[in-house]
Amino acid sequence: MVSLGLVFDQLITGLTIGARLFLIAVGLSLIFGVLDVLNFAHGVLYMIGAYAALWAIGAVSIPFIGLLGIGFWPGLVVAILAAGLVGVLIEAGFIRRVYDREPLDQLLLTFAFVLMLTDVVKTTFGSGSNVVDPPGLLAGSLTLTSSLSLPNYRAFVILMSIVVLAAIFVVLQTTNVGRLVRATSSDRDMAALLGVNVPRLYTVVFFVGAALAGLGGALAVPTQSITPALGNQVIINAFVIAVIGGLGSFAGAFVGAYLVGISIAVGSLIVAGAGQLIPFIAMIVVLLLKPEGLFGGAEA
Amino acid sequence: MSPVLETEDLRRQFGRLVAVDDVTVDIHAGEITSIIGPNGAGKTTFYNLLTGRLDPTSGTVRLRGRDGDLIDVTDRSANDIANLGLSRGFQINNLFEGLTVLDNVRIARITRENRTTDITAITSEDSELTDGAWDVIELVGLEDVAETECANLSHGDKRKVEIALALGTDPSVVLLDEPTAGMNATETRQMVQLIGRLNDETDTTFVVTEHDMEVVVGISDRILVLDNGSLIADGTPDEVLSDEQVREAYLGLEGDEELEAGLGTDGGDDGGEMA
Repeated sequence: MVSLGLVFDQLITGLTIGARLFLIAVGLSLIFGVLDVLNFAHGVLYMIGAYAALWAIGAVSIPFIGLLGIGFWPGLVVAILAAGLVGVLIEAGFIRRVYDREPLDQLLLTFAFVLMLTDVVKTTFGSGSNVVDPPGLLAGSLTLTSSLSLPNYRAFVILMSIVVLAAIFVVLQTTNVGRLVRATSSDRDMAALLGVNVPRLYTVVFFVGAALAGLGGALAVPTQSITPALGNQVIINAFVIAVIGGLGSFAGAFVGAYLVGISIAVGSLIVAGAGQLIPFIAMIVVLLLKPEGLFGGAEA
Repeated sequence: MSPVLETEDLRRQFGRLVAVDDVTVDIHAGEITSIIGPNGAGKTTFYNLLTGRLDPTSGTVRLRGRDGDLIDVTDRSANDIANLGLSRGFQINNLFEGLTVLDNVRIARITRENRTTDITAITSEDSELTDGAWDVIELVGLEDVAETECANLSHGDKRKVEIALALGTDPSVVLLDEPTAGMNATETRQMVQLIGRLNDETDTTFVVTEHDMEVVVGISDRILVLDNGSLIADGTPDEVLSDEQVREAYLGLEGDEELEAGLGTDGGDDGGEMA
């Protein structure tokens, strides 16, 4: 019999995993929803965010440049900018040229970036794993009962995912820019005829999607060990979430991410070491019963 | 008459097919010009070349900008051309069905009013944007349905929203695709009146493709006839309808009556290409 405390801990772990997965899945959905591009390199952008944060914290150094060591909070900004700028480079430099081609060409192009950027990070930072502590401000735990406690940092990560979801909804639903994004997402030719600079809007959307992945990666740094293989681990879960939640749906990305996160953590209690089993089973069930995903078909 | 939009030897080939064949034409400011021609004559491709959606194989498109200069827009992007004052009436399926008429028109105003850089601007509190949208709605006569979702509009009103979206960018020239397609007699009459009134009141230049010859004759200051991608006639309705070459283009039809009947019942439009 597993104790209540253990189940609770795993639940919190699951929610933390879910929050990080949401930040990558939501960017994937945003880019797919607006640009119609399935960005395989999104996991790598997450990994780049994680390494940028490690570098900013001072845990790893870049050859010939050295350590940055400015701490965790400025590190979040560095991670967001690093992932966002790499994303802009990928979009404006490369993906832009294949918008009118087969989806397979886009997928292969983004996959090439997975391989290249993973190697770039490996060469720069080495392939060892890196672990750091949560920032001092969020050290410690909130004690609920004698056996149940909630680490402050994990609560913060979960909160961040909710803030991001709310911010995306508010921007898309109420602002002028949000309306243009939705208009372009629904018909880019029409948007161009209304005077929208579609290529620029695409670059901005790609930046935001990539920056969110970078934020997710940076937030992961104090909760797990970081290796260059991180990108490949998370992109698979991000695609599982996309299938479960419905690609292009932000609510689907949110619910899907938490379902996958919790089932990874709680699943490993049921069958030790088989945490990935339940998400894949859930994905197969969704594919068979509701192929468009739980929230598919609804407007993003 | 000063040209507001002109093409010079405009040509577009798709492989061996010449969809638009060295068309040289100028559209006069303030007029309503109709473009007619059988299916596959190149009307849609011609529009796509004008709006920058397609690049021409050769030739030039010039548009009179808001400052009065004639600008070569041949290689400009679609949004640049839209911002210079060329607008196109949208197909019904391009409206945002889930949004109200007001919201649809607001979207058309956002770029025009330069409301894209401030990411915190809340649409419903942006009074300049909303006022601009209301002006367009009143101009087109959609006040009664301004707060209605587009999905719940009648066919005739949806086509009016298309025109409102096109006018939302404050264009000097509006291109319309079959504005009366699928309309009953009453709606058709109202649409013809609306285009005439907008042309009078706003000095906007209209270019219209249309199959219904009654509409064409009733609305046009000038008619252009395309056949196999070539411009085969250009003149007032009277001149064009009595043109021998125009009759031949419609497969040996002889006499005005048959010509009008032949054009008028040519129901299948090239909407498929436009979608």
